[in-house]
Amino acid sequence: MPTTGAILACHECDLLQHEVGLEPGGVARCRRCGAQLYRSRPHELDRVPAYTLAAFILYLVSNAFPVVGLSINGELVQATLLGAVRGMYADGDWLVAALVLVTAVIAPFVQMVAMMWLVLFLRMGRVPKSFAKVFRLLAFTRPWGMVEVLMIGVMVALVKLAHMAEVVPGIALWSLAGSMLLLAAAGAAFDPHLLWSKVSDAR
Amino acid sequence: MKRDAVTAARRGLRACHICMLVSHVAPTREHAACPRCGAALHLRKPDSIARTWAFLLAAIILYIPANLLPMTSVHTLFGDQEDTIMSGVVYLWTAGSWPLAVIVFVASIMVPMLKIMALVFLLLSVKMRSRWQPVQRTRLYRLIELVGRWSMLDIFVIAFLVALVQLRALATIKAGPAAACFGAVVVLTMCATLSFDPRLIWDPVEDGHG
Amino acid sequence: MGDPPGTGTPDLPEADAQGRKRWHVQVVWLIPLIALLIGGWLAVRAVMEKGPTITVTFTSAEGLEAGKTKLKYKDVDVGQVTAVKVSRNLDRVVVTAELAKELEPYLVDDLRFWVVRPRIAGGSVTGLGTLLAGSYIALDRGISKKPRRDFVGLDEPLAIQRDRPGREYTLHSVHGGSFGVGSPVLYRQLKVGEVIGNKLAADGKAILTRIFVDQAYVQYVNPNTRFWNASGVDVKVDASGIRVDSRLLASILIGGIAFETPAEAQPGAPVTSRSEFTLFPNQEAAMKNPESDTVQFVLIFRETSRGLLPGAPVELRGVVIGEVVEVVLDVDMDQHTVVNRVLVNLYPGRVHFHSRSPHFGEQRNRFIDELVAHGLRAQLQSSSLITGQLFVSVDFFPGAPSAKVDWAAKPPQLPTTPGSLKEIQTALASIARKLDRLPLDRISTDLGATLRAANGVLQRLDTEVAPQARDALAEARKALGSVDRVLSSGQPVTQDARDTLREVGRAAQSLRVLSDYLERHPEALIRGKQEDEK
Repeated sequence: MPTTGAILACHECDLLQHEVGLEPGGVARCRRCGAQLYRSRPHELDRVPAYTLAAFILYLVSNAFPVVGLSINGELVQATLLGAVRGMYADGDWLVAALVLVTAVIAPFVQMVAMMWLVLFLRMGRVPKSFAKVFRLLAFTRPWGMVEVLMIGVMVALVKLAHMAEVVPGIALWSLAGSMLLLAAAGAAFDPHLLWSKVSDAR
Repeated sequence: MKRDAVTAARRGLRACHICMLVSHVAPTREHAACPRCGAALHLRKPDSIARTWAFLLAAIILYIPANLLPMTSVHTLFGDQEDTIMSGVVYLWTAGSWPLAVIVFVASIMVPMLKIMALVFLLLSVKMRSRWQPVQRTRLYRLIELVGRWSMLDIFVIAFLVALVQLRALATIKAGPAAACFGAVVVLTMCATLSFDPRLIWDPVEDGHG
Repeated sequence: MGDPPGTGTPDLPEADAQGRKRWHVQVVWLIPLIALLIGGWLAVRAVMEKGPTITVTFTSAEGLEAGKTKLKYKDVDVGQVTAVKVSRNLDRVVVTAELAKELEPYLVDDLRFWVVRPRIAGGSVTGLGTLLAGSYIALDRGISKKPRRDFVGLDEPLAIQRDRPGREYTLHSVHGGSFGVGSPVLYRQLKVGEVIGNKLAADGKAILTRIFVDQAYVQYVNPNTRFWNASGVDVKVDASGIRVDSRLLASILIGGIAFETPAEAQPGAPVTSRSEFTLFPNQEAAMKNPESDTVQFVLIFRETSRGLLPGAPVELRGVVIGEVVEVVLDVDMDQHTVVNRVLVNLYPGRVHFHSRSPHFGEQRNRFIDELVAHGLRAQLQSSSLITGQLFVSVDFFPGAPSAKVDWAAKPPQLPTTPGSLKEIQTALASIARKLDRLPLDRISTDLGATLRAANGVLQRLDTEVAPQARDALAEARKALGSVDRVLSSGQPVTQDARDTLREVGRAAQSLRVLSDYLERHPEALIRGKQEDEK
């Protein structure tokens, strides 16, 4: 594959390398340490906003409806995500409450909005002024969004409670699962490499 | 790799951690901004070793109460029970749901411990300017990065248990003090991982080859 | 050295390219569309299913939690509390709740709400389930037509649901009594209803108790029915003796009200709701005929009237014809005398006067005059020696000094005669005095000595006993026995005792003689007493 001429430094071993063009779906790795430098993510400009939008809608649903419910003697007790946070806060565990709020609600939310924002603008061929800032925000929140961990956590809680009482999965459980998959897909489609080169081109 | 591997540092170039642009920065300049995205350009993550050590130590300190103090306290009609992380795992195992026990054990006990140990190992190896298996070490770092977040699993489990089991006298679950400590441990180890610059692993390899 | 980026040194390696699969574009946009549809549908459904929001105020938010506490109608979940706040002027708690959609048409003016918590009242423990599942707010239907969204909740649980058939009555009492809401209402010891509320009358001098009687028993309540406080154990000590009266266990613990229609009264038509009745302090007071037609008399007694209480009966030949109202001292300052002045109410109704004469009242008075002339007098008698209580007995005393009814006095004065009790007292007093004078000490010492001597004699005697000695001894033994009994039991000494003592004295005397003789003539035991001494 011909080089594009641009130079990259591996973010894990600092080796300088040439960029190469990729097949659609291809991935470029560092020659020395194997770190993933960049991927080819075709139709990124379509896929990212589509996935993030869908994930966003489902995420709203996940927060509005209860995730899981417990039925004892006919009495149904349900918990929403925010309700769980509120419960922990009320109990005095504000650190845990804040942690759950950030990792399960705020960070994914910011991620989705930021990704949508960035890509949609570029799709329209525009580079907004705060592009870099938003990108930095996205990069910052990336490690802290833990929707998939949340999913498994809820499942574990479900199983733990199942032997105690009747467990009623709530609507939000399914929408959370969908949201998680879509967010993952959006993350996979998101190619900063391409985005930045578009930014450079636009400027 | 070959003897003449060239790193950005050697060439006086800095890669932007946001937009990946490689830019030339005069070696005398401390602070520089990426021409494309405006992010601060650093040769290596600033104060990487120091910060990583700091976060790690805090995490190690808090890891002790996180395992000794109770994680959950259950008040039922039949009595109260307080569980630490470990006793919760044991309970799950003896109750027969051993897949759950394994999951919780791995996520809440093994992962943080291994993370800490791995980071300590990496830090020490960098300190000693070791040239042993840099690729493997880098892989180790990648692994830590990937897996670190899964320690949050137990926190989410507790959050939902507490939210659901609020049945007054029949059964009530409250998160114990270990929950906050454990949450702090997860955050601190993640911060430690983020502060560690894996390129430091390769620097001695570079220098070694002249 | 610094090479500007992009010029690329040829000896830099190329990044390692690896391949992968592809996706279709158009399909991708279906995904958010689907998500939008799902989300939209859920949202719409939630909005459509959303029921009305209401507010209810209570005095306390105990047991109520936002997002948890449910509202129930006939134990079915119909809503949930969404917020609990303190009202603006800090006097009540405002609870906001969302109800199920079906309830919308039933939100009317007199819809009632109360909090169900664990309670012990009315002889039962209710709401225990709330200990486990948490308190809840219960509703009762209203029948008004006026719609309403903000309500004032009840402070106490509604005892009677609107649907329950029966009638309400209000009881008026001066004495008060312990009736918690839910206390039973009893008819012939059967629970037929319950107390549903207490409050102070407007003038603060009486208590109004509202009760509810189930439909099946409403027929037993009529204008002449009497209600009384059936709480607990009724112990009365009066001229008739001691009586203990107790009802249902429940009423002993938490109070209760009983009712009955007196046998004499005509049962009228069952009363309509909210009828007012008086609540009497006990059954006695309730069932007493309100004697509208009472005649008051004054009785003057010269003896002590200790033990004569107001309320004590006045009996004629054993039939209660009235009661004592009050007993006061009448001091005659001129004559320097102090007498007991007893005011009594007589119920002519108890005594059936038959007459077709129009001048009934006057004729009655004349009739009483006649009776008095024949010796009708009032006398104090003891009803019970144990309690020492007295009552007034009206009877005929043919030997009584003549007297007249003093109709002029207000109230009229009936003649009296001294009570027989006084005579007994005097007799007893004289016996006591006589006993006092007996030298019991000396007799007992003598008896002691005699007993010892006799014992010795008896021991020496075998089956062979001189007849005289035998008789004397037998008599002595008898006398001694009865004396022993009398002296040891401590019973009041009567005439018998006196006689016995005399016998004893005589027996002792003859024994003395015998022992003296035997002392001088021991051979008499064998040979018998010689006719004459040698």
